[in-house]
Parts: sequence; structure tokens; C-alpha cells
Amino acid sequence: MLNILLVDDDNEFSEVVCHIVEFLGHNINTAANLAEAEQWFVNNHFDHVFLDFMLPDGSGLHLVEHLKSIGQTPKITLISGHPSVKGKLAEMCEPNVGHLVKPLQREDIERVLNPKKAAAKKKTTPSIKKHFGTLIGESPQMQQLYTMIERVANTSANVMLMGESGAGKEVVAQAIHNASACSGPLVATNCGALSKELIGSELFGHEKGAFTGAIARKDGVFEQATGGTLFLDEVTEMPIDMQPNLLRVLETKKVTRVGGSKESAVDCRVISATNRSLEDLAQNNIIREDIYFRLAVFPIDIPPLRERKEDISLLASAFLEQLNDENNTDFQWQASQLKLLESYDWPGNVRELRHAIHRAFIMSDPKGKAITLPDNLESPFSRVNKQTQVNQVSAGQTIEEVEKELIHATLDKVQGNKTLAAQMLGISTKTLYNRLNAYGGIGEYS
Amino acid sequence: MSNNEPLNKLVHDARAPLNRISMNAELIKLVLENDMPKDKALAALDKIISNCQQCSDSLQKIADSDATA
Repeated sequence: MLNILLVDDDNEFSEVVCHIVEFLGHNINTAANLAEAEQWFVNNHFDHVFLDFMLPDGSGLHLVEHLKSIGQTPKITLISGHPSVKGKLAEMCEPNVGHLVKPLQREDIERVLNPKKAAAKKKTTPSIKKHFGTLIGESPQMQQLYTMIERVANTSANVMLMGESGAGKEVVAQAIHNASACSGPLVATNCGALSKELIGSELFGHEKGAFTGAIARKDGVFEQATGGTLFLDEVTEMPIDMQPNLLRVLETKKVTRVGGSKESAVDCRVISATNRSLEDLAQNNIIREDIYFRLAVFPIDIPPLRERKEDISLLASAFLEQLNDENNTDFQWQASQLKLLESYDWPGNVRELRHAIHRAFIMSDPKGKAITLPDNLESPFSRVNKQTQVNQVSAGQTIEEVEKELIHATLDKVQGNKTLAAQMLGISTKTLYNRLNAYGGIGEYS
Repeated sequence: MSNNEPLNKLVHDARAPLNRISMNAELIKLVLENDMPKDKALAALDKIISNCQQCSDSLQKIADSDATA
């Protein structure tokens, strides 16, 4: 607790500052002019003086001089309406004299009264903004996503999240749940991870004795999420013969437990997620059309990380900040490292980025401040993906082009051994030579 | 700082109510954050309203002084 003197001729201002400073746990007295202030110092000691620059009987600087002459050294904060006073203060070179510009804020007062605490507090609050408490990124794509989340959160519409693996579907589901301010919980379940036998009981619950091992009654996820949000991850991996049951719940808003006869009402928003493309869903009979329309009242596409490269450095900084916090370290990124991260196209999206940073964090010298990034950021998965991508054929290519590509890829694989390559291709060595002659590529492999 | 003394005085007079408004708003935040009796917040709100009027009057004086200058 500090003893504080406030010297200001504005009584109404003094009164409200007194309320605030007392609330912060300090003692405070007031003086309306220099004479009153000097009087206070006759019999009292103060730790801190808030001093108005312009007082009716002179400048606040006179009090600073006066205190020096009587040997009192409280901390002094001059309050003025004009930033130029700061220059004058710098000329004075008084280490215990600080300065605040009107209008004041509570944080200003807290900061000057307790500089250490305020600084420490600042460090623990993350500097990177998390939208809806979860999402990081300021790119136009993400801004668009935030708008969609905000709009849909105010409704009770079912949402289907579409995006590549690692793009952050579960995080977006959490963001929608947070933004909707609903009273119930967010319940997440992975439809791809459940066996065909268990999926019914997981989703809809079961009654005691419904099947072998059902030793007690169990609420399904629809009931657990009452008043909240149900997140069905990898919903397209659900066996197609289970889908009519799900459709029934979505349509009737009622659920019947396995082995039960009573229906109970369902009251939750369903957010589902898939990493398959819309074309894939439509062409390959993965999800029934009627279920799709029930789940994807409001479909949201989550952009892959390579389409919002400007967010990579923000994400990298946030992940490193979190690791620093957890491990009590103080690693920092260098600008060139962030550039390197931005230049890679992250096929595994944010998850891959996070993984790469965690790995680099572990590899780095704990005594230093510099993070050591590996020479090659590619994960084994991205390498495989790349290879299959190279070999992919697409409409518009001629048979000749594809054949040429296949022959070259095969020859590369066997280091130019034509006999072996011909065997693998299922043609005679002579035909292979003829083809290579025709394409004009024989020189490369002779 | 500008050397126009009368104008400086007028600006100082306009800034004073802003300073009170800011502090009263901070007080209301404290009251709300800590579930304190709401009459304190209501009194602070009344002060904010009257200071807004005062600030507006001061700004009008500045405008008038500019017109006469």
C-alpha cells in the first residue's frame, strides 16, 4: 500500500481519481494548489505524487524543486494536457519524475504505481489476437471466415466444415461454439474412429442391457450436447448403412437410445466436418444426399495454409510463444526463418506447421535464444504426396505424353536400365528403344 | 506548444471535462467488474453526461473565437 498525494485544481477529477486509487488499495490525499501541497509535506511522508502541470499558483515543477530542497524524494508523476511537456522533463533529467498525458486511463495509474507488476502482466498476455478465443490469422481469407462464423453463430443452423487435413476444422467448430454463446457444452466425436457396432450407441446412447456389455444406461453424444454444440468429425467416414439413423435424428430432432423405446428431444447445433471435396462427396456415394442437405445448411470452406501465407509468421509466433510459456524458455524467431516457413507450402496445413515448430523447438539449444530449423521442412507425408502428384494424369494430356512420362519415370527408377524398365512396363526392349527414338529421348539414357 | 495563449486556455478548458469523463468511465468499469453498488456507477454516468455538455460548450467557444479572430 502506497501513500499518495494528488495535486490538481480540478476537484471533480480529484474526487474520481481518489475513488479509483483507493480501490487499487492505496491511501490518497489531495491538494488543489502548490501551497496546500507544500503544507501536506510538512508533517507527512508520501511515496508517490500525482502532480498537475498547470496549477493556480504556479507550475507543478515548482513543487519538484521545493521537494528537492527539503530532501523529500517521492516518485513524481506530472500530469499535463500536452505531450510537449515530456521534452521539458527529459531536459530535467530527474530519474524519479515521470509523466502522463491527459485524459488519463486507469491502466496509466496502475502502471506508474506498480511498474513491475504491470510489466509482468503484459508479458503473460499473448500478443497475438485470437479470434473467438481460438483462431489466429489476419489474412483476407480468414477475415471472410470470421464474418461467416459470426453470422452463423447467431442462428441455430447446422454447419458443415470442409477443409484439408490439418486446416483447423475442430478449431473452427470451437470458434462457432464460442461465438454462439450457448449454454450447453461442445461435445466432439470422431465418426471415422468408431466401429460399425458401436457407432449407434455412441451417437444415440443405449439402455442398460441393450447388448452384451451394456451394463449401464448411457447418454449418446446428441443428449450430452443438449443446449450446446455437437461436433461430428469425419462425418463422411460413417458407414453408409448407419446414415439413415442419423438422418432420422436430424429430421425429427428426436433420438431413441439403442434398446430403448422412449424418444427424447434433441436440442443442439450439429457441426460436421470432412476433409473430402464436394466433388468427391457427390461422385463417390460417400454421404447420402438427404443427409448432406441436413448437415450442410451452412457449408464453410476452411482455406488451406498455402492460400494464406501471410498468416504463417503469426501462427509461428503464437506457437513459439506457447512453447516458451510452457517450458519457461525465451526463444525468438529470426526474420529469415519466418521467411523460410512462409516459402514452404505446408501440405499438412497448420498441424504440420505446429509439428515442425515443436520439433525445431526440441532440437534448439535450451541455453540460447535462437531456434534451429531443420534444413528440410518436408515431412515424410508431404514427400509421398508430391511423388504421387507428379505421376498424376489429368484430362487434356495425350496418350503419347502420358506414355513418355511413364517411360521416363520407369527409367529413372531403374537408373536407366532399359531391359529392366521394359520388363516393368510390360513391353519388349525393342519397343522401348523404338519409343525412345520416337520421343527423341534416347540420348538421356544411353 | 503553440504560443497562442487564449487558444491554449480554451483547449485546456475543453480537455478538462474529457479527463473527468475518462476517469468516471474507468470508475464505472471498476464498479461493474467488481459487482459494487450501482449508485456509484449511476453518479459517475451523470457526471459523464454533464461533462459532455461542458466539453461541447468549450468547443463552441473555440469555434467562436476562431470566427472572431
